[in-house]
Amino acid sequence: MDLAVDIIKRGGKRQSERFNRAKLHASIVAACLSVRTPEGHAESTAAAVCDKVIEWLQQHPEVTSQDIRIVTTRHLKIYHPEAAYLYEQHRITI
Amino acid sequence: MDIPVSLAIVALAGLIHASFQLSVSVLTLLSGHTIGSKRSNAKLLRLTTSFVIGAGVMTVLLLSSTSFVMLSLYGTDTPQVVWAAVCGLLIGDAISIWLFYYRREKGTTLWIPRGVAAYLTERTKSTKISAEAFGLGLSSVIGEAFFIVAPIIISALTLVQLPAVWQMVGIVIYTVISMMSLVVVWAMIGSGHTLGRIQKWREANKYFLQFAAGSGLLVLVFFVYVYEILGSTVVGGI
Repeated sequence: MDLAVDIIKRGGKRQSERFNRAKLHASIVAACLSVRTPEGHAESTAAAVCDKVIEWLQQHPEVTSQDIRIVTTRHLKIYHPEAAYLYEQHRITI
Repeated sequence: MDIPVSLAIVALAGLIHASFQLSVSVLTLLSGHTIGSKRSNAKLLRLTTSFVIGAGVMTVLLLSSTSFVMLSLYGTDTPQVVWAAVCGLLIGDAISIWLFYYRREKGTTLWIPRGVAAYLTERTKSTKISAEAFGLGLSSVIGEAFFIVAPIIISALTLVQLPAVWQMVGIVIYTVISMMSLVVVWAMIGSGHTLGRIQKWREANKYFLQFAAGSGLLVLVFFVYVYEILGSTVVGGI
């Protein structure tokens, strides 16, 4: 399901794009798997976090990709703190 | 300079090199992407091993080529003025490591050009075969050339004074010691430790590593200055 929300990319250099739930879901699953979470648990965590992020997006028609990352991290922390840590660290590792 | 002292200098320089973290950061990211995209453990091991070998090969190449350049420029008897200049370079490098190595923000972001960091991040995402991981290992060593240039040059100047066989031994010692941190992280990932734990440790200890690298360089410069410049001046005077 894609919402009618425009995501402004990092630094505003690339073109904005429509919110894509599948893309967010995949990135959360990847973070969970990276900390050796079983696949089923990773999928259910990602689904729950995506629901929360979409709930938040419904009140915000235009957001940056950084906003999405912050909100996702906030909700992921509740379900899986270690995955949330890694998700948050992804852009600040190098 | 006798052989044990020369090898000790090379070993200390290698240890300082080992405290630099770009290759470890890239290895962490590469492992994260590989595990996250549901690839097998065997694939993870192949990619990370190729990465570590790539970083090792680039270290050997850098040290060998720098030694060759030094040998061509100054021969086996390096002039004191060159030692003095290299000591100055080391002091500058040590201070810049203390001040700049890690950015003052969350995470383990390094003070390397953002373009290089973005390139390495993108490459880790698209790395799927061992040859790419090997290339990534090569690039990750080049990425922090600004910081590793000092221990590489001092090792090269030390090595060119040794007989050929001991030069080889010195290169092996430097490479093995400089790869230790990378090999430890590689072994941890391979043995099933979570990336979260590894990254948390790195983030918690980043300023200690930064301080240790800068201080190690100052110890090295002090020793080299006393041994090569003051020592030979006193001996020459007597």
